[in-house]
Amino acid sequence: MAKHNNRRRSTMLSWAVMKAGRALWTMNAVPKKAVYGESLRSFSGTEFRRWDPSRSKLGAAIMRTRRDPSWLLPVEGTTVLYLGAGHGTSISHLHDHLCGQANDLGGRLVAVDLAPRCLRELTHMAKSRPGLVPVLGDARKHAAWGVLLPRKVDWLFQDVAQAGQVDIFIGACKRFLNRDGTGLLSLKAASERWTGEGEEALFEKVEHQLNTSGFEVEERISLAGFEDNHVLFAVRKME
Amino acid sequence: MYFGGKGEDGAPNRRAMWLWYDWRAAAIADANGSILDDEQWDGFHDQRSIVSRLECIAEGGLTPEAMVLLERFPDAKPRVHGEPDLPDADWPLPDDEAQQAADEAAIAMATRGVAQAAGDPDRRLEHLMRASDEMRSTFITMEARLVEWVGLFLPEARFGQDRSSLGKTVGEAESLEHLSKTLGVSLPPVGPDKPEWKALKEWGQSVAVFRGQLDRLENGIRHLSLQHLPSLSALLGPLLAARLSVEAHGRMRLARLPAGTVQVLGAEKAFFNHLKTGAPPPKHGHIFMHPWISRSPRWVRGKISRTVAAKASIAAKIDAFEGEPWGEEEMRELEQKVEEIRQAHPSPPPRRN
Repeated sequence: MAKHNNRRRSTMLSWAVMKAGRALWTMNAVPKKAVYGESLRSFSGTEFRRWDPSRSKLGAAIMRTRRDPSWLLPVEGTTVLYLGAGHGTSISHLHDHLCGQANDLGGRLVAVDLAPRCLRELTHMAKSRPGLVPVLGDARKHAAWGVLLPRKVDWLFQDVAQAGQVDIFIGACKRFLNRDGTGLLSLKAASERWTGEGEEALFEKVEHQLNTSGFEVEERISLAGFEDNHVLFAVRKME
Repeated sequence: MYFGGKGEDGAPNRRAMWLWYDWRAAAIADANGSILDDEQWDGFHDQRSIVSRLECIAEGGLTPEAMVLLERFPDAKPRVHGEPDLPDADWPLPDDEAQQAADEAAIAMATRGVAQAAGDPDRRLEHLMRASDEMRSTFITMEARLVEWVGLFLPEARFGQDRSSLGKTVGEAESLEHLSKTLGVSLPPVGPDKPEWKALKEWGQSVAVFRGQLDRLENGIRHLSLQHLPSLSALLGPLLAARLSVEAHGRMRLARLPAGTVQVLGAEKAFFNHLKTGAPPPKHGHIFMHPWISRSPRWVRGKISRTVAAKASIAAKIDAFEGEPWGEEEMRELEQKVEEIRQAHPSPPPRRN
């Protein structure tokens, strides 16, 4: 029966995100252009960009989660907040999903990063990808860019890899995330103070802190294999 | 304006009012969240005005609309949009068109912020420093090869300490014979064939070019370092000052480091080895390059580098917070101190067993 089934099984996680075997693909919002040298491929006439999970913690979490991975993605066409934008690998794929070509879906992706070097790539990307709003600023200084988010969002991602990342996340969620909204925190163990009790204890502690700060940790996703010593906490805001 | 009566216990019973504002509107609401007044601005087709408003808010200032309302309601507490203590109310939020304009302004601000990073002397210094390090290692390798290569054909040639002009000499020579005359050595019977000589000659030219480039890079560092780190440069010399600043990831960060860290900057490997295994801690990092330390006897180097690092740390703070820069006088004072340490410890301490 499986004789003819030599193609890898592919499932759509959203209208634009596809999981094919061990690879992720997103429908390219800017056809024929690769953002960071990833491969482009047509699936039945539509061009997709390969989403490399070892270069994107969001991608890694989608590969590793034990639940329905589409739950980790925001609803397309909404406004989302992304703290710690980096060089825009995840951002570009998220934009594919959120906004589509020429921002057909009317999504807004507010991406904050502190480093001018990272923003250089992002501002360049923003020219061809309407809906992407890069902000050069500190994730902790809400006053500087908070007015760009007139309403609270339903999806917030944070990847800042600096000490106190949990407090930054809790503060940002309190101010910008809707009740019942999804918050994703990528935690790098090495950025936190070493307590001598090991990584597992650190992750436990963070989970406890999140659970007692008005969130419910829905899943703790280990990114081992893609990004060592990292976990991604997927939380729901309860109050 | 509503002032309320005095409460039964005599305390003023003034009702709380809130002044909400964002980049294009401001509104007054009472504690129940009913809007009493608002002011809106519709000049958002001018991107520059939006940018200046966004910047004003980022610095914690009030927009013109907020100021108008604050004059009308001096008791209202001004809060920018999103502050947690604001009550829920139907604030006049931007419509899609206004939001679009704000997004474009945000992109323009980000672009400008990125462009301004080029004016950051820390980043300029870092590139100069790394470029000069890379150039130096290339130059040393190529020069060593040139010496070996010429030495193969002219075994009598001795270059001694001063190799600085060797590249130039080889690059300008017409032939090996010419070169042997310039260097004043005899010509052995076997020599390179024509293309081989050409390659050797060009290698010499490259060495000369790299040497010039290296000098210019260091000049660039000196020039920038004297402006950016005047006190530290006066104390340690511009090249070492620049190296410390780059190693600390910038002038401000260097200023915030304790002197003990400044002392061992650049000796991270030895330092963490010390923490891990209990090996003796390093006495000096990059600061060792300073002749006061590297030219002093072994047993006082630790003491001197401690003193020098302490002063360097103060100098870095002066530079970062732009105080009156140090100069010759402070440098001499420190030199005197270093000299005193040397005098106090003229011979090595007895061995401990």
